[in-house]
Amino acid sequence: MKALVQDEATRLTARVDKEQLEKMASVVLGGALLTLGLQRRSLGGTVMALASSGLLYRGLRGLRQLTSSPRDRREEGARTETPSVQHAITIGKPADELYRLWREPGTLAQVMSHFAELSTTSAEYTHWRVSGPLGQDLEWDTRIEEERAGELLRWESVEGALLPNQGLVSFRPAPGNWGTEVTLHLDFQPPGGALGEAVMTRLLAVPDLLVNRALRRFKSLAETGEIPTTERNPSARQGAHLH
Amino acid sequence: MRALCWNGINDLRVENVPDPEIVNPRDVILKVTMSTTCGSDLHFIDGYIPTMREGDVIGHEFMGEVVEVGHEVKKVKKGDRVVVPSFIVCGNCWYCQHDLYSLCDNTNPKPEVQQATFGQPTAGIYGYTHAFGGYAGGHAQYVRVPHADNDCFLVPDGLKDEQVLFLSDAAPTGYMGAEFCNIHPGDTIAVWGAGGVGLMAMQSAYLLGAERVIAIDRFPERLQLAREKAGAETIDYTQVDSVVEVLREMTGGRGPDACIDAVGMEAHGMGLEYAYDRAKQALHLHTDRGEALRQAILACRKGGTLSILGVYGVMDKFPLGSIMNKGLTVRTAQQHGQKYVPRLLEHVQRGELDPSYLVTHRFPLEDAPRGYEMFKKKEDGCVRSVFIP
Ligand SMILES: [Zn+2]
Ligand SMILES: [Zn+2]
Repeated sequence: MKALVQDEATRLTARVDKEQLEKMASVVLGGALLTLGLQRRSLGGTVMALASSGLLYRGLRGLRQLTSSPRDRREEGARTETPSVQHAITIGKPADELYRLWREPGTLAQVMSHFAELSTTSAEYTHWRVSGPLGQDLEWDTRIEEERAGELLRWESVEGALLPNQGLVSFRPAPGNWGTEVTLHLDFQPPGGALGEAVMTRLLAVPDLLVNRALRRFKSLAETGEIPTTERNPSARQGAHLH
Repeated sequence: MRALCWNGINDLRVENVPDPEIVNPRDVILKVTMSTTCGSDLHFIDGYIPTMREGDVIGHEFMGEVVEVGHEVKKVKKGDRVVVPSFIVCGNCWYCQHDLYSLCDNTNPKPEVQQATFGQPTAGIYGYTHAFGGYAGGHAQYVRVPHADNDCFLVPDGLKDEQVLFLSDAAPTGYMGAEFCNIHPGDTIAVWGAGGVGLMAMQSAYLLGAERVIAIDRFPERLQLAREKAGAETIDYTQVDSVVEVLREMTGGRGPDACIDAVGMEAHGMGLEYAYDRAKQALHLHTDRGEALRQAILACRKGGTLSILGVYGVMDKFPLGSIMNKGLTVRTAQQHGQKYVPRLLEHVQRGELDPSYLVTHRFPLEDAPRGYEMFKKKEDGCVRSVFIP
């Protein structure tokens, strides 16, 4: 269970540009490092943030881990700091339209393809696969637990997932002519022990990045019909067409 | 194809790279006919802008002929001769619909880099670091242009490449800087920096109705261009005790109505002025950028406008008190090229603007490293090198 994510974003962060980013950041902030995508919110902070949104709060009531006490979670062997991450983005389309696009077969696979391979097995079930460089895959199925057309969609991994997780996307009209505020929340409960450590550092070190990029990709798809990419981008690097 | 690649600090080479392909349905492929150097490239060439990767194809100011068209492209056709602004924009997002094109939300495939640094990401740029998307640049035989219907501008027949090449960046940036000044009849506009952008800003100020334009620089050949091509009065700042005082005297004690800072333009990307103190020696900066902006603030008349085209990251001793007490309006942006290219093309067609004098040196693409060297060192009065693949 070495490296579970080898998407471009992670490579950019972890391998090549992290050093440069740090250099840049340390120049900018005189050492106060801005590490890309590594700010992890505390559970308390997340709950506070969520509680401020009635809609999200309603949606999240079903999320078992979040409503259980920290002690319960410790007893279950989970980390006290559940890697959960949330981002919001404003998209210049009506909520109904965005909700329909999200539900369209293929959309989620396209939007998440920087991080996971998704296949829709039925209207409620989605299969997720995150592949690593050593051929080790992490796979799970999610089932839609709650859907409110034009408002929100909540899903959970089914029983037995190695990495239990849950997600919520909500759509809320934005002020003026801005369209819709879309919030995506992902919540993982890594198992304890060495495996948990590996999952945490390799996969969940950058959930911020994953969620942020997924939302941006969804926005671009909704607003322009395509997702920006540097796929097959000419360069003089080895295997130049692989970015 | 052949392309100019960044391989490390001060290591540019023309190399074989794979041809670009149509990847998204709104892409076109351009056969590049001419491209040009930009001062902003010097910062990553010198290694002071991060997020470059070895092998990156550079160049963000170019034009060419459309040779391949994606299936969702509606307006642009094979065979069209077009000029392309350096920022890639979608045309659909809130920012694009408000003419704030360089702020486009949908063209930077690696938004998290800027999000971490600036708070929100801007649009992508060709050949200009992975923070700006990591797109391959235009110093190449071919280049992929996404969202072609918004980003390709048809060149009218009868205009030469060098007349329209600078509509990709220097001209719209300068024009935008002049537009920021909200020029009224009788206004005097002072412009710091007589490079490509500064010269375009001077000419644009006249096009927008300025009475007088005053250029501040120290290179004799650039001051000469400012006088002869842009019709400006000039100040060699190395020859006067105080630029601020000279400007005050030239304007009856009022100060210029608006001041344009086109000095830091070389840094129009990630704005490596945040590395200013450390970098300035290594970068052979020819002027104290912070000083130019301070001069502009002090010189500007009360209630006037400060138009900043140069980029400043962290600046110590920034005279905010002077801006506040004098009630200055500060306007700044990366170029919103797509807004200005159509009207600039009209000016060029009518003979009111001819940026071709910026081309001081021409090279085949194979000699591009030499072209950058001359440009960087301002050898032989080099204002801009252009490359012909
Ligand atoms: Zn430029
Ligand atoms: Zn846009």
